[in-house]
Amino acid sequence: MQEKRLEIRNIIMNASSLPTLPGIISKLNALSENDKSSVQEMSRLVSSDQVLSARILKLANSPSYGFYRVSTISNAMILLGVNVVKSLALSSSIFEIMEKNSVGLWEHSLGAGVAANIIARRLKLPECEEISTAALLHDIGKVIIRLNFGDDYRQLLELIEKKEIPMLEAERGLLGTDHTEVGAWLAKGWFLPDKLVEPIACHHNVAAATSQQSKAAVVHFADILVKASGFGFSGDDFVPCIQPVAWEKLGMTETILTEIVEELEDKLVDTKNFSLEMQTANED
Amino acid sequence: MQKIPLLLAEPDMVLARDIFRYDNANGPPICGRGVTLTDALIERLTRMEVQTITVEGHPVRMDGDRTEEEILLALDKRFEKVENDPLTNKLKKIYRAHYMKSFGDQGAREAT
Repeated sequence: MQEKRLEIRNIIMNASSLPTLPGIISKLNALSENDKSSVQEMSRLVSSDQVLSARILKLANSPSYGFYRVSTISNAMILLGVNVVKSLALSSSIFEIMEKNSVGLWEHSLGAGVAANIIARRLKLPECEEISTAALLHDIGKVIIRLNFGDDYRQLLELIEKKEIPMLEAERGLLGTDHTEVGAWLAKGWFLPDKLVEPIACHHNVAAATSQQSKAAVVHFADILVKASGFGFSGDDFVPCIQPVAWEKLGMTETILTEIVEELEDKLVDTKNFSLEMQTANED
Repeated sequence: MQKIPLLLAEPDMVLARDIFRYDNANGPPICGRGVTLTDALIERLTRMEVQTITVEGHPVRMDGDRTEEEILLALDKRFEKVENDPLTNKLKKIYRAHYMKSFGDQGAREAT
């Protein structure tokens, strides 16, 4: 089992086997690390790839960001921040695969993005856009496992159905690792900041988060809320336990949670419409 | 109340929430709650690119729409692994109340 874990790790570290990343990303990484580069320079770089720009704008206008009307990359950079645009650029090819082949997981991710946005705004947390992005990406490990280890993925689904266990348990039993670890390897490999890596890595174990525990707690809640509402399909139908450390970290109360659920149920109707529109667009 | 795509709106449905412009959600409402829909009004809303509206009761049975009993059973099934966890159970209670309220609205309207 340990061997399997190492095999998965090696494949992820060896970027060539991952969905192709546009060369623009490495240039964008270099630019964003340089203090002297401006938002305009970065926008110009991204805008030079029209397909990539279109995908980024589509995600930026998704309900996960509370319906901004973002029409240009430079607007997206200013409204959502460079980190968010960079993460959307990196994950856009994976989302494309998800939209077409794994609608349930795509809707679960979109829904989690929406839920995280509502929670972060309701609790007046800083960096709402980063939190939404982390939620949008939280199950990216599952996509990677499915893409690169199709046979194992099928076995996972069989195991879940036969034994009625959650995905996480099935992954650990079969692969010796799970989608949180796999997702974190990928996010680190992409040089994403800790504020995105930690929520991906710790959304099932909030206590393990160090510097970004609030963000991990929001993504933990977002995942649970979307599963509680039965929206999308993340691999199994079971609602995970709310971890007391997450509840305390966010100062959650029943009243706040009720308000969040009401708003989420309302927004999920729009989210379903958004997802249906995307699928119709893909068929054209 | 029920949120429905404007495509499924019909005359005589009553708005349960104000409608705002899609491109100016923080501006003044373009149509207030309590208003009864007419063909002309639906036509105008369509031209203004309104996507969804919230109406009183539960007038539209959409594909995949389930009865209250089915919805509550599915909720129990989703929460079956965490039945004994106090925090997660709070969430389940909130969802149960939410579903019952959404169906209760319909009952209240039919009764009047």
